[in-house]
Order: sequence, then structure tokens, then C-alpha cells
Amino acid sequence: MSSSLRMSNSPQKVRGWSRGQVALAFLILSAAIACGLSIYSSASSLTGLSRAAFSVLFLPLLLSLVLSFLLDPLVTQLEKFCTRTGSIFIVYVLTLGLASLSILWMTPHWQDFWNNMGTDFPRYITQVVESLKNIVAALHDRFPMIEGYDFPLKIRIWAEQLMAAIFAQAPQSAMKVGGLMIIVPLFTFFFLRDGRKILRTCVSLAPNRQFEMVRDLSYLVSRQLSQFVRGRVLEALIIGLVVTAGLSLTDIRYAPVLGIFAGVTNLIPYIGPIIGMVPGILIAFVDLGAGGQFWWIVILYILIAQVLIDNFILIPILISRVANLHPLLVFFAIIVGGKFYGVIGMIIGVPILSVVKITLLEVRTYRRTFRLPESALESDRPH
Amino acid sequence: MDPLWTNIFRKKLAEESLAYFLKNLPIFSELSPRALTTLEELVHVRSYKAHETIFEEGDPGSGMYMIRSGSVEIYAKNEDGVDDELARLTPGDFFGETTLTAPAPRSAFARTLETTELVGLFRADILELAERKPSISSSILLGLTRVVSERLQAASLEIRRLQNQIGEHVSPESIET
Repeated sequence: MSSSLRMSNSPQKVRGWSRGQVALAFLILSAAIACGLSIYSSASSLTGLSRAAFSVLFLPLLLSLVLSFLLDPLVTQLEKFCTRTGSIFIVYVLTLGLASLSILWMTPHWQDFWNNMGTDFPRYITQVVESLKNIVAALHDRFPMIEGYDFPLKIRIWAEQLMAAIFAQAPQSAMKVGGLMIIVPLFTFFFLRDGRKILRTCVSLAPNRQFEMVRDLSYLVSRQLSQFVRGRVLEALIIGLVVTAGLSLTDIRYAPVLGIFAGVTNLIPYIGPIIGMVPGILIAFVDLGAGGQFWWIVILYILIAQVLIDNFILIPILISRVANLHPLLVFFAIIVGGKFYGVIGMIIGVPILSVVKITLLEVRTYRRTFRLPESALESDRPH
Repeated sequence: MDPLWTNIFRKKLAEESLAYFLKNLPIFSELSPRALTTLEELVHVRSYKAHETIFEEGDPGSGMYMIRSGSVEIYAKNEDGVDDELARLTPGDFFGETTLTAPAPRSAFARTLETTELVGLFRADILELAERKPSISSSILLGLTRVVSERLQAASLEIRRLQNQIGEHVSPESIET
């Protein structure tokens, strides 16, 4: 009885709502539904969104981190005389001056390079294909079974595709570079000014019991890392300069561009130097023939730049043994990096792996440092 | 006056600031105001619950702690595993200063006795400061050296006193027995 009464009462109560209350209920309900729908629809694209944001921000963040590692010692030196922000400004003005000077020096070369590239590149390809044809013909005589493959045609098609892609993407990548030129200095400025604070905040998140160790390790790892980044970039710079200087002694064209290419590819261990010397040796072979200058360029790339300067002088001085990776690991890093981020992934795969190795090794040495005194005490005890 | 309003408009007293606390410690008593501001940015303020372990014997030691509020017990474990209290520290006291410059394992246990706020200063901070601002870091290290040598002197005097005591005990009676 009572329940039927209540049921008959409740609709009356609803009917008893004022018009304002109904409107408010309607608004709240529809707002809740709209919110739910929008959260649901955005949640499905949330992973895509975060992935897009990551891929857009990854390169500028990485470049700014490397730049701030490079500029930090200079800023720290200047900080003894003025505030940190002031010393960053001084370093920025100096860097800007140097950059604009080098751009002024490079512009004619670059224009020359760009204008000639359109005519020269097909010529190089034709020459290479010609010489390849001769080799293939010779091979055909010895191994008749490979007659079915037309290597020269395949290489020609591949090279023409590459050239078309480079010319088509040039304006787009110029836009990207322009964007980076604004974002990277901005990020670098904040990393330089607040880097210590950012690290401090991250460290302060550690629980009380682990805090002390985390603080120590963060210092040790960041010191090793900055040394590693600085060493690698300096090494690439010196190799680039040496190759440019060596090539300038010959009649080869594009010496500065080839030097920059050799320097940048030198950032990848083992494989990079080989990739870096291919265009130079090809151009030398086509333009200068297999004469004295050609052999000088080969010696310059392999013996002078790689063996003498890089292996005997730069690597022992600049790169600590800690950061050296096994060649197999380097190949893994390059392949996996290339799979994820293409060419950039191939360049940064190795440094990222080195970062992981440096971190692990620092943790190990840290623990060992504190275990040593105890074991020393034990060995000192009379048996 | 309404207590609510007085609380809102009350300014933070100088005595409550971190710089004031640091200035009153014997290690930093001779620092200039500029050095104190730098030090203020360098130290880490950590809050601990009651009976929370700060460090254990054998932990990697890399810095000193100063007590801002609360209290800390320093203890060692004896052979039976029973806690043996070595010291009870109150606000203004500091401990662990010997590991600030030389990395060494902690030689005792430390835990809080109540809700405690500690101010930590670690070797990494000092080394970083030495690169950026050598003069300030050397004045901080001078203060530290002064305190450590005072303690060392007190300890060596204590050792001599104890040696003398043992000598008195050992001499005639022990030979007779």
C-alpha cells in the first residue's frame, strides 16, 4: 500500500518542480552528457595526440639540451662576473655573431652548391653508372648466372628518386629549420637558466630515504653526460674542419659542404665516417679521375681524419672510455633508432644508448665507492 | 580585532626565513648576506614523519643535515642488535658534516623522534657551487672546516683525558693483582 502511494506521489512531485528548476536540471544533464561525450572522443585520440606532441617536440628539445650542454661551461665561467641571465645573454650575443659570420661566409658557397647541384648530380650519377656498367660487364663474363640483374638501371632509378625527393622537400625542410631556429634558442635559454632548478625539482620528488643517493647520482650522471655531449660535438667539429681544410688543398668542388657532411656523420660511430666519406670520394673520382689528388683525398678521409686525428688524438682525449660502446651495440642502436625516427633516429640512437650506459656505470661505481672502505677494513683485520 | 584578519595580513617574520635559520648555525655564522642567499638556494628542505629513518649505518654518506624543527636520535646497534642511543639532537643542531667533503659510509643510524624538518646540504651542491661561485663556496667550506677542527680538537682532548684515566687505573693496582 505504502509503496503504491509513494509511487503515485513521486510524479506529482516532479510536476511540482518550478520551470526554472526543470530548465536547470535539463542544462546540467545536457552539459554532463556533452562533457562525457567530449572526454570519451578525446580519450580515444589522446594517445595519438600525445604521440604527435612528442614527435613535434622531440627534436627541438633534444637540440636545445645538446646546445645547453655545450654553452653551459661558457655561461658558468661568465657567471663569476655577473648574474646567470646576464651571462647567458652575453653568450647568446657571441654565438649569434659567430653564427651570422659563418652564414655570411657560407652563403655564396651554398648558392653555388645549390645551383650546380641540379646539373652536377645527374652527371655524377651517369659517371658512376658508366663505371658500374663496366664492372658489371666484367662480372657477367665471370659469373654468367647474374645476367638477369640490371644493377646500373636500378641505381640510376634510385638516385633519380633521391634527387627528386631532395629538391621537392627542400622548401618544407627550410620551413622546419626556420621553426627550429626560433624554438631551439628559446628552449636553450630556459634550459641554461633554469636547468639546475628543473633537475632540483625532479630530484626533490625522490622519497626521503633515497633522496641523498639520487642527489649524488644526478650530479655524477649529468657531469658525465655533459662531458660526453661536449666531447662528441667537439670531435665532429674538428673532423669537419680537418676534412674541409684537406679538401681545400685539392681542386675538388664543394669542399665546405663535404666537410660539414663528414663532420655531422662523424657523430655516428663506426658507420658514420664511412657514410661521410662516400660523397667526397665519389665526386673526387668523377671530377679528378684516379690520379694523385684522388688518392690524396682517400688518404685524407681514411688515414688523416679517421685514423690519425680521430682515433689517436681526439677519442682518447675527448671521449672517456666509459662512454665507449661495443660495435655490436652501436649497430643495434642505429638500426632501432632508424626504425623509430628515420635518419635522425640513426644519429641520436647511439648517444641515447651511451646515456643509458653512462647512467648504469655511474650507479655501479657509486655503489662500489661506498663498499670499498668496508672491504678494506675487513682485509685489514687480523685473521 | 578579528583573529582571522590578523592572520591573513601577518607578514612572514624574518626569524622564520631559511636564511635566518642558516645564519644562526655556527657553520654559517660568518657568511655575508649574499652568500647566505646563495646558500638558501643550495640547501634542500625535507620534512620527515615521526620515527622515520634518515639514514642507516653503512649507507653512502654524502652530506650533512641541520635540524630546523623537531628532534633526531643518533644511535648505534650493539652486538645484541639493541639500539644504543649516542645523541639526541634538537633544532639548531647538525650532523653528518664529516661526509660532506670526503665520501664515506655513515657510521651510525639516525631517525626522527617526532615530525621533523631537516635542511640538507650535500657534496654535489658544494662541488657545483665551487665551479660557479668559488668565493662563496670557499667561505662555506671555511666555516665547515672551523667547526670540524673544533670538534676534532675537543675529541683529541677527550682521548688524552681518557688515556690518562686508563693509565691511572692500570698503573699500581693492576700490577699488584
